[in-house]
Amino acid sequence: MHDSILTYAKSRYLWIALGLCVVSIALYIWHDPGIAPNGGTWLGYTLGTVAALLIVWLLLFGIRKRSYSTTMGSTLGWLSAHVYLGTALILIALLHCGFQFGWNLHTLTLVLMLIVIFSGFFGVYTYLRYPTLMTRNRESATRDAMLDEIAEIDQNALSLADGIAPEIHAVVLRSIENTRLGGGVWTQLRARDGSDIAIARIKVAIEQRETQLGAPPPSMQAGQTILAMVDFLAGHADDKQSDAMRKLIDMLSRKRSLATRVARDIQYQAIMEIWLYIHVPLSVTLLAALTGHIISVFFYW
Amino acid sequence: MRWLIRRVLKKGKSSISYEDDIHFGDILTIGRAADQAIFLPDLRAALNHASITAIGRDKYRIESLIVAGIRVNGEITYAATVGAGAIIELGSTRLTLLDARGDFDAAVEVASIDKSEQAEIVSSRKKPTSLSQTWISKRWPSWLGFILVLAFGLLLPAATHVVPGLNTILHYSPFPSTAFWNPGEIDSAHQFFAKDCTRCHQQAFLMVRDKACTSCHVKTKAHADPALFNIPELGDARCGSCHQDHNGKRGMVSTDQRLCASCHADLKDRSKGASQLVDISDFGTAHPQFHVSLPGWDARDEFTPKSMPWSNALKENSGLKFNHLKHLDRDGLKTPDGLKILTCASCHQPDVSAAAMKPIAFETMCHDCHTLGFDTLAPEREVPHAKVEAVTYTLDEFYAKRALEGGYADARAPTIVQERRRPGSPPLSRQEQVEALAWARDRAREATRTLFTGKACVTCHTVNPPPAGENVWRVAPVRVSGIWYAKARFNHAKHQTQACVDCHEGAQKSEASNDLLIPGIDNCRECHAGAHAKGKVASTCIACHDYHRLPQLTLDKATGSTAVEAPPGEKTR
Repeated sequence: MHDSILTYAKSRYLWIALGLCVVSIALYIWHDPGIAPNGGTWLGYTLGTVAALLIVWLLLFGIRKRSYSTTMGSTLGWLSAHVYLGTALILIALLHCGFQFGWNLHTLTLVLMLIVIFSGFFGVYTYLRYPTLMTRNRESATRDAMLDEIAEIDQNALSLADGIAPEIHAVVLRSIENTRLGGGVWTQLRARDGSDIAIARIKVAIEQRETQLGAPPPSMQAGQTILAMVDFLAGHADDKQSDAMRKLIDMLSRKRSLATRVARDIQYQAIMEIWLYIHVPLSVTLLAALTGHIISVFFYW
Repeated sequence: MRWLIRRVLKKGKSSISYEDDIHFGDILTIGRAADQAIFLPDLRAALNHASITAIGRDKYRIESLIVAGIRVNGEITYAATVGAGAIIELGSTRLTLLDARGDFDAAVEVASIDKSEQAEIVSSRKKPTSLSQTWISKRWPSWLGFILVLAFGLLLPAATHVVPGLNTILHYSPFPSTAFWNPGEIDSAHQFFAKDCTRCHQQAFLMVRDKACTSCHVKTKAHADPALFNIPELGDARCGSCHQDHNGKRGMVSTDQRLCASCHADLKDRSKGASQLVDISDFGTAHPQFHVSLPGWDARDEFTPKSMPWSNALKENSGLKFNHLKHLDRDGLKTPDGLKILTCASCHQPDVSAAAMKPIAFETMCHDCHTLGFDTLAPEREVPHAKVEAVTYTLDEFYAKRALEGGYADARAPTIVQERRRPGSPPLSRQEQVEALAWARDRAREATRTLFTGKACVTCHTVNPPPAGENVWRVAPVRVSGIWYAKARFNHAKHQTQACVDCHEGAQKSEASNDLLIPGIDNCRECHAGAHAKGKVASTCIACHDYHRLPQLTLDKATGSTAVEAPPGEKTR
């Protein structure tokens, strides 16, 4: 079976991390500094050194994953160790500080470290869950292939609509203009392509029609494409036009489902990336805080 | 109204030519239908797609005639009022509205957009499909975070070390000062200079030096004489190795017995014989028997207590005769004020500190029963409980006064003494005075002897007659140690929950005053043990002992070159 980052090399790094935790806890329990446990005892310095080296090593992952020609183990192995040793770091750092916190640079360093690690946990979750969802969503196509198909459908739909009636051509034209895939950070994360809204609007409009039995007020809003066609069908279409209309509706439905899948693809990719925008900058910030923490402690020793 | 419709014709790659056309009418229609003023044979255009109305000089109104709208200046719109220069894009055609020229009221330029440009436009209108195409970034927040934290977390506070006054300014500003480095709350005694790190941390990257401590703690007593022991060589003896600040307001005194044991567990070897102190590392398991200080006097009767290991057989020769058993009679004692039951507290009363007991005072504790009367004819008169000379003075003066005043009703006295002199009587003759004073001297001497040998002084004191040629009686000096364990601290107040006899076991039955009623280490160990005590009070060294203990050597001297020789008693316990 394919190894995940958690099961790599029979979870070798899980056991190493657990061993590190057990040794740290045992030392912490055994050690009696005579005063409240803190970073200034010999064990405090030891755990602090281990934690600092771990942080530097964890940061090196950012370099390792970019160096494709390295012979120092696989990226998967590094990532597995990155995850497990990064998790062990929570415990080691807490034991290092002896659970002493304050409004100072030292606790800021700890908080930054915890945010980085917990954002990493989210990353692990997305890396385990989303690749599968992404593959299933794409249905063995690529995003480019889906986009090409959408473009093709647009062309075909336009010429088909032109053969039916000018007003149908106009609504298809509008539908093409309104199809917008992607967008800002929030839009990408929420996978909004407008089609859900369109369907909801159609439902509302049909209900309105049933109650009012009058013509709908001309609306310039999205989600009217299929509705306008249905309206046209019910009104004054002959058989030939009806066939073309049904074909057009099929086409636009296909387009809608494609658009939804592309939006979801963008969403999955965005979710898998978004945590890095916290994880990476804060880990670099953490490096500054850690430097400050170590220097300040020895500055006023 | 006359419209100029100028078509741009591209010939080859670089050369272009224009073809002008005139349209009459207010409205310029655009679409795929044949009747349109500007006819666009493009599927992306509707039959009647839009209209442009010239509403004034260089002012146009563009209206979309279909629901899809029209793209004006890059934005989809349904109706817009624009000036000259506005661009309308429709499929592969670009319309540019021009300013009216010549005898035309309005003008528009029609150009086709070539395929590569169309693709460019499409791709430029595409919305971002990955986060890296959006405004968020990893790079600049990384730099920003790194620089901000380094600048405000490290560099700014560090700058206060070299820029005088900066720390004070920062303290009253929203920017972090060195307080941002403070790992824990400062001890309450140090709070008043807590903001000034350099008061203790005088040099960067160096541990706090003792010098910083002794700049205030000048008169704190030293532990041992540096002339005799080089303490830093024996173990870590920096002030800061025991006294660590930044651990909150609970104080900086470490009670850890290892701080003492690290040297005292093998001090003889460690000091290469310079110290003769017994090795000690734990009160419960590795502490020798106490050395008790017992009273003693040298040849000149100077009090010189002797220290020796406590044992049951030791006697405390205080010079006093006292029977505890007799005084603690449960049936009570017959006193001039009736039957009285004495307890320990009748005589042993705590001093103001409640730590030690007040010395026994004859006047308040013994005198009720043990009066110092000397003459049955004057039972209210007593000698003072004072030096022998003061006693004899009192007697001499008392009897001299009686002799000269007369009226002393003792048959054995001379007539001149017995006879009461009235006012107006003639003064005594020289012969009579001599006779009266001779009686007085003899009587005083007799009274002195009676006091010193009879029931008064000897009840409690050992009295010897005056040596030949003198007339001052000798009363042996009386003194209990008072402080039996001089090197340790004991606090009676902290032991109030215990009964006296819990520790002073034999006191109630003691008949001899030289019984040592002070307990040894075993008694303490019934309740106390070392740091790792199980089921007992965990008592580390400083529960009883002071580290800063040399009374004659203060830290300022101990760290300087002045060496004060420790008395012999300080070398050994």
